[in-house]
Parts: sequence; C-alpha cells; structure tokens
Amino acid sequence: MDRDELLRVLRAFESEALEYVLIGATAMGFHGVVRATEDIDLLVRATPENIERLRRAFRAAYPDDPSVDEIRAADLLGDYPAVRYYPPRGDLFFDVMTRLGEAASFDTVMAEVKEVEGIRVRVATPGALYRLKKETVRPLDRRDAAALRERFNLSEDE
Amino acid sequence: MPVQKFRSAEEMQAAPVQVVYGDAFDRFVRHCARYRAIAPRTYPRGVFRFRTIEEAQAARERVANDGDR
Repeated sequence: MDRDELLRVLRAFESEALEYVLIGATAMGFHGVVRATEDIDLLVRATPENIERLRRAFRAAYPDDPSVDEIRAADLLGDYPAVRYYPPRGDLFFDVMTRLGEAASFDTVMAEVKEVEGIRVRVATPGALYRLKKETVRPLDRRDAAALRERFNLSEDE
Repeated sequence: MPVQKFRSAEEMQAAPVQVVYGDAFDRFVRHCARYRAIAPRTYPRGVFRFRTIEEAQAARERVANDGDR
C-alpha cells in the first residue's frame, strides 16, 4: 500500500467534505490492530450530493481516470449498495458502501476522528468495528472481531 | 526487549507480540506494503458494482485466486 497515495485520497475526502466512515482492516489499522489488507472499506452517507462529493474526491486523487464517472448515485442509492473502484495503478482499491447488511449505514456506525499528517479521518470506533465483524461468516472477520475484543477489552455482547 | 526466549513453540505463540502503539497508521501501511512485496497481485481496473456485500466478497476472492495462480 502506497502511503502517499492513501494520504492523497484521504486528503481529497476531507477537501470535498465527503461524509464517510472508514471500516474494515484500514479502520482497524488506525486503532493499532494491524493486519495487511488490499482494500479501503468505507461507508458513505447515501445522498446524491455525497456521492457527487465522492466522485469529486476520486477525480482529484486520480485526475487521469475517466472510470470515476462510472460511480453513480443511481447505483449506490439503488440496487447496488456496494461499488468497488480500482484506481488506474497501484495496489490498493476502494470498497464504497451505502449500506452493509440490513442495519449498518453511515448513520448507524459510531465513528471517531483520527488525525494523520493534519488530515482528519473519520474512523469507526473499535466497538462499532467489533459489532460489524462479529456476526459475519468469514473466518477472517471472526479473527478480526476476536483481535478487537482482546485489544480493547470489549464484552462479547458489545 | 529485543530478544525473547521461550521454552516451547506453544509458549512463544501464546506470548503477546510487543508493539509500540501511537504510530498505528504508519505501522499499518508498512505492514500492507510488506505483504504486497511478498505477494504482488495484478488487479482489474475500473469500477465494479454489487448488489450485496457477499457478491462483492466473492468477486474479491476470484481476483485473489486468479492472481495467485
């Protein structure tokens, strides 16, 4: 993962006032629970205006990539709540979601602000990450949940 | 404590890994970079959309499996 690239994207999110919350392994990394990942998972507020902010942010970070225009509010607010964006080069990609399962969305996932190189990054709290991960079926998520629980002394029914 | 000694592999595996907290972001990025260096992958490019998270995860698995071949 290219540190400068990730910072450039996070800076663009902030500049465009994107309403988002990082979840997944990247969010865990911000909390010091480190494991390798390929993707940056984010929940975004499901409004047309916010999806336009997301597009502007990606255009700012990847100005030579016309595929950013394929990220559409009609999809993310409709039948396709998950969109994956692979930038034109590099080794990270973005999983953008407007809802996760039946319950989780930008509005329901508790978040806190972390700061890195002066960039304010909205990150799901350890408890919120634990709740997102503990009910899923993937073994990797269950291991993440266990690591979060141990690191932050979370109760099982958190 | 740069060197730790254990009487068994089980004891070693049970011991917590010592890390310095406070530099989480950089540790995370370095760890991902090391992983990529060891296991580089070729990704498709562009935008893909999914009806469910499960669908998205399955697509990611396919890319991972193709890249590992």
